[in-house]
Amino acid sequence: MKYGLGVNVNETIHDTVEKSALAERLGYDYVWVSDVPEQRYAPVVASAIASRTKRIKIGLGLLSPFVHSPMQIASSVITLVETYGNRFELCLGPGDRNQLRRIGIDLSQLGGISERLLAARRDIENVLQKQEVKCAIWLGAQGPKMLGIARSFDGVLLNYGSPDLLEWAVDQIGHVKAQDFEFGVYALSYVYAKHNPNVYNLLKASCAAVALGASRSILKKLSIYKEVAKARRESEAGVSLESISASVNTRLVEFFSIHKHPSELNAYLAKLSKIGIENVVFGYPQDYSKMTVRELSRALRSES
Amino acid sequence: MQLAIGVTSGMKLEHILKLSAVAEKQGLSRMWIGDDISAPHDVFVSASAILLKFKKLHVGIGVTSPLVRNISTIARAAASLSEIGGHKRFTLGLGVGGLQDLRRLGINATNPRDMLRNATALLNAALKGETVMFIKGNFNLTRYRARYASEHEVPIFFGVRGPKLLSLAGEISDGVILSGPKTYVRKAVSLVHEAIRTSGRSAKNFRFVVWVPTVLVKRSGDLKLVKSTVAFVLADTPREVLELAGLRYDDINEIREVYQKRGIDGASRLITGSLLDEVAIYGDSPKILDEFEMLRESGIHEVVFGPPYGIRPEAAVNELAESWRRYS
Repeated sequence: MKYGLGVNVNETIHDTVEKSALAERLGYDYVWVSDVPEQRYAPVVASAIASRTKRIKIGLGLLSPFVHSPMQIASSVITLVETYGNRFELCLGPGDRNQLRRIGIDLSQLGGISERLLAARRDIENVLQKQEVKCAIWLGAQGPKMLGIARSFDGVLLNYGSPDLLEWAVDQIGHVKAQDFEFGVYALSYVYAKHNPNVYNLLKASCAAVALGASRSILKKLSIYKEVAKARRESEAGVSLESISASVNTRLVEFFSIHKHPSELNAYLAKLSKIGIENVVFGYPQDYSKMTVRELSRALRSES
Repeated sequence: MQLAIGVTSGMKLEHILKLSAVAEKQGLSRMWIGDDISAPHDVFVSASAILLKFKKLHVGIGVTSPLVRNISTIARAAASLSEIGGHKRFTLGLGVGGLQDLRRLGINATNPRDMLRNATALLNAALKGETVMFIKGNFNLTRYRARYASEHEVPIFFGVRGPKLLSLAGEISDGVILSGPKTYVRKAVSLVHEAIRTSGRSAKNFRFVVWVPTVLVKRSGDLKLVKSTVAFVLADTPREVLELAGLRYDDINEIREVYQKRGIDGASRLITGSLLDEVAIYGDSPKILDEFEMLRESGIHEVVFGPPYGIRPEAAVNELAESWRRYS
């Protein structure tokens, strides 16, 4: 199994680079750099990480083709590969609907999201091939529509942590040959040796944010549609995410994140492996501090 | 006056980094990177690579257009580059975009003056980490909270050409990147100065940059390169710039039509000696430095030695940079 660390581009680039360099020393396979419209620009942060590391693979994304054109996305990858070598991978997806709305992109008005994503994937692949650049293209997926097109990508990064949900998602995608396709998880995460309530609060707030951006079908499947719809209305009225997360059912943490003590991690990862998942990215707030990055590393080493 | 190097994001990054190494070694002021949107290289990643690899060299984007990228992307890319570069090492150049590029993308640049005015205001607000609410014209930001406030000031320069946009540059930008025939450049400087005066700003910190095709000529055969460069530049020069330069639109349009029908070689044959002198800076190092001196006397603070440089680009940059160092 391969392990990655999702780094938070809300922090200074210096801190992100330090934690990425630490992740490389600790033997992580990947760092993933997310691209969020209100935060730092992922390709530039990836460039800074690559300049300070040698081996670790750097994932770029999730990048939304509704924010950046396929040519712009391909250009970023090509420039990174030409500068730092062939160790970049890409994850595409529509992006967080609430974040996109704030920059003038309304997914509900666009229509044909799946078809547009597939077209973007093809266009990006064409530009990469012309430049003879190899780069795996993952799909970041959560709901049934995205799962329905996942097989057209090199792999899928599923955006939740619950084994039951993951098993359902893998079933939705169906059987694919292991050499053609990789199943992965990119979930909010807090694996702790000593539980820190501050980090846990960040995890809860992030789970609430993911739920607010989740598709109706997923929320209905989890039987949390009504309470999340209420939280969405509050959010649009300006209520802070922290207040919303305090009122939202703690089941969100179970659904959308990997929240484990090291003693539980072994069994959890074994479950994922049994489902066919061989790539796990531990997302925010696992990179809260160098200590939390090390705690996860120790837990993974004891697991292996 | 300072000497900078100009490249475009369409060039191989390996080449850009080699030229950057020359610029850093020779103590040149800055690398300007033009955003070639039809080329498979990202201008922001290229800028980051230079800022990370070199310690002194400043980097400018010269220029990118808010019509081809979401304004939030430009803001956070600029903030990220400024964070990497440190105090004032990064400068953001804004423009409307190349005529041919916009046409190819089906983008209609209606009211570019309002577009650039609004873009500048939005970028300045976002770079300060403000929450932005703006729905008008080309922009739609709703409760957009920039979480990347730049610790360092990000100067915003305009790369614009028409009189109205030059006037706007004098009114709201930190500097202007001028490109076009030499007569035009002199008139553009006056227009911008006038706008600075009428808007009540101080000209003290305003920077004038000139990016004119410059070719180091070693032998008479190199003139072919100068001619093809001038033909290419004229084919993309708007009518109002030609008129300000006192060039006849019909003459230039003929070059443009031949360029479209028969390519650069055909168009190059129509380039006269006086057009060469008006549009390009070329010759050996002393002659080029004399021309730079004339630009300094016109009020220019920074001159950009841009492509194609010479038949052997790297050697040309090295030679001119060395001459510049001795001269200055």
